[in-house]
Amino acid sequence: MNAQTTDRTISNFIRALRNADVRVSTAETLDALSAVELVGYDDRDYLKRTLSLVLPKTADEKVTFDACFDQFFAFQDVRGEAEDALGESGDAEAQESEDGGDGEGGGAGGDRQAQPGGKRKKSKSKNKNNLFEEEEEEDLGPGDMTDPKSALGKLLMANSRVELAVQMSAAGEAVNIREIQIFTQKGLYARRIMDQMGLADLNQEIADLRQAPAVPARRLGQQLKARRDFLREQVRDYVEQQFLLNADVSGKRLREELLRKVKLSNVEHRNFRLIQEIVYKMAKKLSTLHSRRKKVFKRGQLNISRTLRNNMSYDGAIFNLHWKSVKVDRPKVFAICDVSGSVANYARFMLMFLYSLDEVMPKVRSFAFSSDLAEVTELFNRNKIEDAIAKTLRDYSGGSTDYGQALLDFKKLCLDDIDNRTTIIILGDARNNFGEAHAEVLKELYDRSKRVIWLNPEARLAWNTGDSEMRKYGAYSHQVEECNSLMHLERVVGNLLRQTN
Amino acid sequence: MFDFALVEQVRIHDLRFAFGPTATLSPKLPFFGLPTIECAYGRSMADIETIAASVATLKDGFEEHRYICSDEIATAVFLAYQLRKPVLIEGPPGVGKTELAKTAAEMFSLPLVRLQCYEGLDESKAIYEWKYGKQLLYTQVLKEALDEVLQGAKGFAQSVTKLHEFGDIFFSEEFLEPRPLLKALREENGCVLLIDEIDKADHEFESLLLEILSDYQVSIPEIGTIKAAAEPPIVFLTSNNTREISDALKRRCLHLYIPFPDVEVESKIIGARVPDVPPELQRQLVEFIHELRNLDLKKLPAISETIDWARTLVLLHAESLEPQLVKDTLNVILKFQEDIDNVHSEVNSLTAKIAK
Repeated sequence: MNAQTTDRTISNFIRALRNADVRVSTAETLDALSAVELVGYDDRDYLKRTLSLVLPKTADEKVTFDACFDQFFAFQDVRGEAEDALGESGDAEAQESEDGGDGEGGGAGGDRQAQPGGKRKKSKSKNKNNLFEEEEEEDLGPGDMTDPKSALGKLLMANSRVELAVQMSAAGEAVNIREIQIFTQKGLYARRIMDQMGLADLNQEIADLRQAPAVPARRLGQQLKARRDFLREQVRDYVEQQFLLNADVSGKRLREELLRKVKLSNVEHRNFRLIQEIVYKMAKKLSTLHSRRKKVFKRGQLNISRTLRNNMSYDGAIFNLHWKSVKVDRPKVFAICDVSGSVANYARFMLMFLYSLDEVMPKVRSFAFSSDLAEVTELFNRNKIEDAIAKTLRDYSGGSTDYGQALLDFKKLCLDDIDNRTTIIILGDARNNFGEAHAEVLKELYDRSKRVIWLNPEARLAWNTGDSEMRKYGAYSHQVEECNSLMHLERVVGNLLRQTN
Repeated sequence: MFDFALVEQVRIHDLRFAFGPTATLSPKLPFFGLPTIECAYGRSMADIETIAASVATLKDGFEEHRYICSDEIATAVFLAYQLRKPVLIEGPPGVGKTELAKTAAEMFSLPLVRLQCYEGLDESKAIYEWKYGKQLLYTQVLKEALDEVLQGAKGFAQSVTKLHEFGDIFFSEEFLEPRPLLKALREENGCVLLIDEIDKADHEFESLLLEILSDYQVSIPEIGTIKAAAEPPIVFLTSNNTREISDALKRRCLHLYIPFPDVEVESKIIGARVPDVPPELQRQLVEFIHELRNLDLKKLPAISETIDWARTLVLLHAESLEPQLVKDTLNVILKFQEDIDNVHSEVNSLTAKIAK
């Protein structure tokens, strides 16, 4: 039963970890169990260190793990002084077995020590049967305080916070605390957990003790009462945590799902952080997908020198053939972003996305313009992504949009750097304020580069209306996409990686 | 030379019997060589058990070998030994990832087998290779013997059948050139296997490692599966995180992240590694380094740099950190000209801050 409680606590904890986006596999769960078996629950820090070696597998996950662990195994000491209490309870234990060898109490106490957390129900029933007999022994007992009789009382007096936490989560499990969905259920669940932990017995015992004639027993009654109240608070906290761990997460999932689809210009400022997280997550997914450097084998073209070299050991007999293979370069991306008011928000998230992918796309150069264009690559290399984006928007977003001028600037700046491996991504609504479009510049870029992708945040219906030059520019783009949500962005970048790899 | 090695091997072998788990003294003992060597070898097995018995003993063991480690690190080694799991160590460069494996080997008095990863590393360099030269030579030499073997065989089919009777002698262990991983598996008394900078190797190489990491065995198509000796190696993998390690590999390992140490631990490390540093200078230089780590630098100074700097300062007979002295020796701790330029202007305020 003890092993089961342990198993359940750990697997609940792992559930909470998974909720917090730490990936834990079944194999790792088994590892965690065997590690815990080795380490035990006595030392909280030790347990934390151990689990943190087994479960989280990146530095980021470790941070999440720390927070989760603290929340999950958070349990105040019943009196606030753990070490002393442990020593004392050890002493009490020794005394008990010394003088109460024949009584049921001594036996039960030994039981508790040997199998922490186990046999709760059994000892409870024992207590009920032998209540009277034990009372007598209690009165005779030496020391300031008598030993508690109810299972919960013992637990409280034992002062092991981890033990208490284990019991509490076991009780929580029994009343299906994880089903908690709305905050009004908190009181109900707290009550149920207390009941499950044996509140009725404890209350009975306290009532009995308070009427007991002997001083030590009454003192115990007072202690127990204080600790019961403390426990009640703890249980309330525990329910609160469980509510946060279980109920809130599904809410967060839902919110993330919504934010992926919502138009980026409509995102409220308070959601920026969350969006950032999503962007990183999406970028992470894409980079793991594409971090494998793929080799394209051109079967049919023999790599003669390599074949000869590798077959030398076979006395020159050529039976191990090597084919020419082409290592595909990582995409070289030039991102040109319109950062004027109407498009700034989209530019923000696209830049964020591109730079979060630096693991698979190390060669991103970025340019920002509203009327004049400038390169902001250095800014991104030197600053954190968020800071760089803020600076870019601050410095370049003034002025009315002039795509023609921007293209000319771009041509002047780095036409020479564009070769047939370059992908140019232009993000903008192509609203040129009726200025000169200079589509011929784009044609030149189109001819030189591998791909020109134009991302337009406007809905397709609005293209080519008013001052939009989408038709002219679209002619010289390999791909024209409507792009106004994270989902679109993910698709575009995913395609980019797939095609260039 | 050859004979000597043989004798040595025999001696070690016998001693292991003499100093088995029970460690009873054998009357044979006086017949065998130098007592010092005997002790070193005879004790090693029991030693590992006692050292790895708990986190505290491990920590002491490391400290004895001048490796100051945090509880996390000691716990990692403890679990690695007790659960027989490899440890994947990550962290910024220069925090002692490789050193941990080296010290562990030294502490357990086990041989260290090291595999340095790089792009293009493959199984023929990491696990095994056939001794092609030897195979070729033997075929040449044995050409004459072929007639005897084929004597009496009539026709092609019979000759081939006769040849088949001899089996694949050329693909037997005799012709196998063990590379680090196979070598580590074959170590009788176990060893410490260090797979350094796994992130530098190709993605495919990680998959090659999976078998050895989870089951301590390798499969060689021509021979079969080779399992680890009685005592499987203690495996450390290090990564500088230049790329994400695959989930499959991570799943099989304990994951240890070594961050930059706090002031206290770093002072202890300096004390252990460079004992000649005056205590006041030691405090100042460690605090200075910690101040530097708060700045936005291209490459933050790591422990190895702190140690180098401490050695430099000792060499220059410094008693305390003077601004001019710091400016002159900045190139020991900072490895980018840009960083040096940035810090140069702040040296005065930083030294003033830590002088208190």
